[in-house]
Amino acid sequence: MAEPLIRLQQVTKSFGPVDVLKGVDFEAYAGKVTALVGDNGAGKSTLIKGLSGVQPYDGGVVSFEGREVHLTNPRQASSLGIEVVYQDLALCENLDIVQNMFLGREELKQGTLDEAAMEFSAIKALQSLSVRTVKSVRQKVSSLSGGQRQTVAIGRTVLRNAKLVILDEPTAALGVAQTEQVLNLVRRLADNGLGVIIISHNLADVFQVCDYISVLYLGNMVARLETVKTTRDEVVAYITGTKVLEGVNE
Amino acid sequence: MVDGKQSISFRERIQGFTRNQTALLVLVLLILIVVFTSLSGGTFLSTSVGSTILTDWGAYILLAVAETLVVISGGIDLSVGATLSLSTVTAGWVLVNGLHLTSKTTGVDAWPALALAALVAVLTGLLVGAVNSVLINILKIVPFIATLATFGAAAGMAIIISGGMPLQGPTDFSLINPLRIPGLDPKVFDTGLFSPLVILMALVTLVVGLFLHKARFGLYTYAIGSNVFAARAAGISIARHTTKIYLVGGALSGLAGFYAYVRLGGGSPTSGTGMELYAIAATVIGGASLMGGIGRMWGTVIGTLILITVQSGLLMIGVATDWKQIVVAVLIAGAVAVQTLQKKNGVR
Ligand SMILES: Nc1ncnc2c1ncn2[C@@H]1O[C@H](COP(=O)(O)OP(=O)(O)O)[C@@H](O)[C@H]1O
Ligand SMILES: [Mg+2]
Repeated sequence: MAEPLIRLQQVTKSFGPVDVLKGVDFEAYAGKVTALVGDNGAGKSTLIKGLSGVQPYDGGVVSFEGREVHLTNPRQASSLGIEVVYQDLALCENLDIVQNMFLGREELKQGTLDEAAMEFSAIKALQSLSVRTVKSVRQKVSSLSGGQRQTVAIGRTVLRNAKLVILDEPTAALGVAQTEQVLNLVRRLADNGLGVIIISHNLADVFQVCDYISVLYLGNMVARLETVKTTRDEVVAYITGTKVLEGVNE
Repeated sequence: MVDGKQSISFRERIQGFTRNQTALLVLVLLILIVVFTSLSGGTFLSTSVGSTILTDWGAYILLAVAETLVVISGGIDLSVGATLSLSTVTAGWVLVNGLHLTSKTTGVDAWPALALAALVAVLTGLLVGAVNSVLINILKIVPFIATLATFGAAAGMAIIISGGMPLQGPTDFSLINPLRIPGLDPKVFDTGLFSPLVILMALVTLVVGLFLHKARFGLYTYAIGSNVFAARAAGISIARHTTKIYLVGGALSGLAGFYAYVRLGGGSPTSGTGMELYAIAATVIGGASLMGGIGRMWGTVIGTLILITVQSGLLMIGVATDWKQIVVAVLIAGAVAVQTLQKKNGVR
């Protein structure tokens, strides 16, 4: 198999006396969607926050494109090409779509914001994902539906030339139609050659869109499965801990 | 798509509303002017009242501008008035006790001293801003408490440094007197509305407004006030940006202290007393949300004008000055109530 885009080896993270990640191995590939599943409190969000640099790991080795990296802050992770779409949607309600997509990466012209150029690029990025649900890129995010917000957040990763896109529960708050839209976007990201990691509680979503499934159980990676070679029952068994430590590190 | 259609009409409503927001404020201002003019039997609508209102506006506007930046970023600054007092006093102290200048130095002769006064006042303001920033960003004290502390400390220091009395020093009152259009007889056409310093305050406001609405500085200010987590995730350094905001706020309050110095011909420790209330009121009347993320410089400019028009109007129609604070309080409550109602109705 090809070299993983990102590989974690024995990463750890504790909050005081609580060991949340107890030496986790994990990998994801370019052009593939890898699911990260596990019960509430398993450590999924913590694992992701380490990858995005928001909350660095305490120990372990992280390799990106085959080279060891130290992810210590979001800007640096982002400069490597790692972008995260957060569970709690890291968008600013009072800013419009363009402003949100370019936040932290504004284009300037003579010291002022180059609104026209940013608007143009934002529209192009959304078009590359075949987004048709957003009518104007100048509407404030507060006026958007949950699905549209996810679209903006995902579009932003494209704009930033992401190589690895991580989505934390992207469909948790969405209805059926909007979930479908977002899953299509996720698949399109991978088809465009990006590596995608998606955290989800919804196994239907996972089985629809993912190539691999990794299961966290109480801070340990208990399974890494190929979607086509497993079943929902098996995944559920790993999530709930009735089946343990198989197929790890294979 | 249904989604798209819904959002477009929603968007139009929002756009229509924000367009109207400034228009609405101007309308309120015009109504106030009409009301006070008729209640005062016409005397309210005169150049002299106009220039007095603008002179007062000059005294308040920079504090309101400072407050607007802080409020949009999701904070609050209770120290702006006390910073003004401290700045005007340190400026007076340097000229009077440091350089032994007196109020006998006037006119153009006072300009070098006044330039120094401006510098001292702005530096003093920056210092208070820096303390605010340390309390908020390093000691992680919430802005309300942090600036309450600097409010007390700055107000106290202003009294200690001045000995509780105004420090009378050199000044040039022509800087604060309205300019007239040359060649027109002031008895026939009284055109004197804007003093040089009011024009300076307006220019400073314009510059800060451009930074707020056209530059990265403003975008980050809105972003932080809107969603700190999102701003941080986008790579914005929250501490660095809030430091900038409180420093700018301090410098603006310091410059307002200089204005007070020139106007009074000295540094008085009570110049800024109670002015934080007015700064917050002007900001909120102008449409800024105390929840952060919302507000506009035009709103604050007109909000300040509304506040001062109400004050002058009440004074002219014979309402006792003691009522001033109550009226300001009612205006704050009213403005916030309007905002809350609008939010409830989904306008924002
Ligand atoms: N900042 C933190 N401080 C203390 N404990 C935390 C912190 N973040 C997460 N935890 C704990 O770590 C565990 C895993 O949390 P999380 O990564 O959010 O799990 P998941 O996303 O899988 O539900 C939980 O028990 C949670 O309470
Ligand atoms: Mg989580």
